[in-house]
Amino acid sequence: MSKLNASDIQGFALRGYGMPLARYVFLQLGEPERARTLIGKLLPTVTTGQRWDQGKPRSTLNIAFSFRGLMQLDLPLATLVSFPVEFQEGMKARGGILGDTGANGSRHWNSVWHDGDKVHLWICIHALVPMEIESRYAELERLLEETGGATILQYQDAGSLVIDGMPTNKEHFGYTDGFGNPDYLGIERKSQPGQGKLMKDGSWAPLATGELLLGYADEAGELPVAPVPHLLAANGTFMVYRKLQQNVVAFREHLERWSAVYPGGKEKLASKFMGRWRDGTPVELSADRPDWSIVQDPERSTNFTYGDDLDGTKCPIGGHIRRANPRDTFGFNGALVNRRRITRRGLTYGSYVAEDQPVSDEERGIIFIVLNACISRQFEFIQQQWMEYGNDAHLGNDKDLITGNHGGAGKSVIQGDTTRENPPLICDKLTNFVELKGGDYFFLPSITALGMIAFGIVDPR
Amino acid sequence: MANQNGVMYGLTIFSPIIDDDHVTPSHDLQLREYFASLPTGPESPFAQAPFTHLARLFVLDDVVFVGKPSKEEHLKSKYLIFESNFDGDLDTYLMGLVRYAPEHVDATWSHCVGYPGIADAAAFVRYMKACQLETTFYFAAVNSQTLTQTLKALQTQRLVAEFIASHQASKPAALQHAFAAFLMELRAQPLPRPGRATIERTLQTGGHNE
Amino acid sequence: MSNVNGKAYAMNVVTPMKPWKQYVLRFLFFLLRTFKPLQSKLINLSFIEFARWAIVPRDSFPRLSLAQEKEELSYDYLFFFSNFNGTWNQYIDAFSAVLSTELNLIWRLSEKFPGSVPVTPFKSYITHVQVDTDYYYNAYPNATANDVKAAVIVQDAVDELARKNASLSPQQFAEAYLAFVLQVQAHLGETGEPPVAC
Repeated sequence: MSKLNASDIQGFALRGYGMPLARYVFLQLGEPERARTLIGKLLPTVTTGQRWDQGKPRSTLNIAFSFRGLMQLDLPLATLVSFPVEFQEGMKARGGILGDTGANGSRHWNSVWHDGDKVHLWICIHALVPMEIESRYAELERLLEETGGATILQYQDAGSLVIDGMPTNKEHFGYTDGFGNPDYLGIERKSQPGQGKLMKDGSWAPLATGELLLGYADEAGELPVAPVPHLLAANGTFMVYRKLQQNVVAFREHLERWSAVYPGGKEKLASKFMGRWRDGTPVELSADRPDWSIVQDPERSTNFTYGDDLDGTKCPIGGHIRRANPRDTFGFNGALVNRRRITRRGLTYGSYVAEDQPVSDEERGIIFIVLNACISRQFEFIQQQWMEYGNDAHLGNDKDLITGNHGGAGKSVIQGDTTRENPPLICDKLTNFVELKGGDYFFLPSITALGMIAFGIVDPR
Repeated sequence: MANQNGVMYGLTIFSPIIDDDHVTPSHDLQLREYFASLPTGPESPFAQAPFTHLARLFVLDDVVFVGKPSKEEHLKSKYLIFESNFDGDLDTYLMGLVRYAPEHVDATWSHCVGYPGIADAAAFVRYMKACQLETTFYFAAVNSQTLTQTLKALQTQRLVAEFIASHQASKPAALQHAFAAFLMELRAQPLPRPGRATIERTLQTGGHNE
Repeated sequence: MSNVNGKAYAMNVVTPMKPWKQYVLRFLFFLLRTFKPLQSKLINLSFIEFARWAIVPRDSFPRLSLAQEKEELSYDYLFFFSNFNGTWNQYIDAFSAVLSTELNLIWRLSEKFPGSVPVTPFKSYITHVQVDTDYYYNAYPNATANDVKAAVIVQDAVDELARKNASLSPQQFAEAYLAFVLQVQAHLGETGEPPVAC
């Protein structure tokens, strides 16, 4: 395959920046000509995928559009209708498919996502220190003032969760995150075994580039379905943004209650929910205790399969990471999973509460961001078929314990064996530990595409 | 016998539909209209008659022209296609339809050529067999369970899960006692009706919740 | 949507075949039936409840009266009826991903079949040759093939424990019960409404 032109791809698509702070800004575009002028002025400030040979910049900036945003920019109709159906509908309209009903339904969302379809433009600023966030944000405000191209509806601050003064990889339930992003062909990244797709000989190979970026061959051996013209879509990707509020009180209470009837203890039980111990040790490699040496070893921390654990006695069949990436669980050497992988880029929001402290009312959770070439085939499929449902894993209607939209019912089975510390356990009468507070689907265009949009030269052919 | 797989029988029936210009709406349209309003749940005629696991009916208007260089051609008649997956033998099944779903059989096949009515059940069976096509390859994921066994097993599965979940902290003697009571309760359960959702619940899993 | 009942989807596909090819196809199905690679893959895919192929030679469309015009066709027709779980896209994606060799063997004898890989032209072809179902009945709409298989395992396990129960002391029972739970622990998924199709 041809070498990727990193200068044409937005940096946010190619790598996690590893910066501890972020601000996501949601804007409504103004009248088309002013909006295009704004995009034109933003364009030189957008961070590309080029390597940082001189060290990290102080901040980064990237932009993405909702379908309503592309409509507001007056893109030709033939181009607009060539966008995938799910992107045109937007995440709110897809609620039935995603299981975003009941407590996760849009009427409970933050008003910026719930009222009208006003979020046209998404801008993310990442930085090393708060001052840089504010400085970039102030620049943005100045540009908006100058061009009249958009108005800021709201912004969401997020970042690495700070515990005892240090930024960490943890989220609010205490789990270590940051594993599991796939390797793609041609995208340079610290690759480690287990991130790609499983080959017949048991080794791992990078996924086809087209699973992430439009315009490249995907795992089905063709170019993924993409909008026209080709130049608008190539080097772009689709993004899912979901604000997931975490009910820390409910999670801790339930974990405590179930631990009382689980001889393996609280930490082991917590590891069964996720498929990793809270320090990140994969349960499949070390089911009895956490093992920091595995977490720190890139040759091992993501290098495992479930083929020897089809009974789920080590990692439960419904464990979160096993649901999200079943690897070889469904047989056929993992072939059914290769087109269902996603890249995640999110961060946490809200302040951490230590285990023994009372939990304040403040909002806290995860800003869940997914990048993939095809939202319906990748993110929506995982959410609908593997998280909110379990038939492929032979779990019927059982949902993921941690993220499922349980509504007080449903159950999760932790498979066990005859050893005293590893008994079977059914956790039932599940509540929503995670609640959706809003989000939408976005298109993250290439630098070239941004130019075409800014100069109004999108020509559908 | 290619139509059979374990206890399951794959029935494929192509019944030519009466072509009569004087009838409005035409017979095929009447069939479609009938099917559109026919209940698909526990009130379905296939739930009233025994043995049916999954079955479908549709009108085949014509064959499909796939494009040049293939030749374009057309069927002279429309066909009512009935595909059924049931357990047991064919004669018993067809007799069951006549006995338990007579209005449905009439309403459906009266639009088809050569239908003898159901007054003579044996004649009806011969008629259906005259329209039967041989299955070339029949796959069944589960081929060992009758309908009754399947419905019972699904009911058992649900009740067992509930029992296990609510007795996780029980001591041996109490557990054994509870299990004995559970077995009695299980045996006393009424047979689940076919075509029905397994449990009524106020909160639905997946689907619409508002 | 009349193709769907609960968790099952009724797909009907009709494709034309040049007449001499039916003998090749019959032989192929014979091989697939006898040597079982197709069967075992279908079983492992585990989202088909029942499926069948029927070759309808061009002179075999039933004719029940002389008043009914005789069919004059130059092709034989291959009918495929599937009862599967999951969405249309998921089904075809899975077939394309893991059953492409077998599918190609069966369907490349049909006119203008584009091959089952890559998947987009394959989906176009199926869309073109698929016929909608007018009426679909499902006796256990809230259960998939997997749910039924699991239920059978649970039923058998409970029957076995019931048989043993009478002769066991409480302690022995506790052990037998644990063994029973381990037997069924991966087969207790709830049945219920299907996910909304996209």
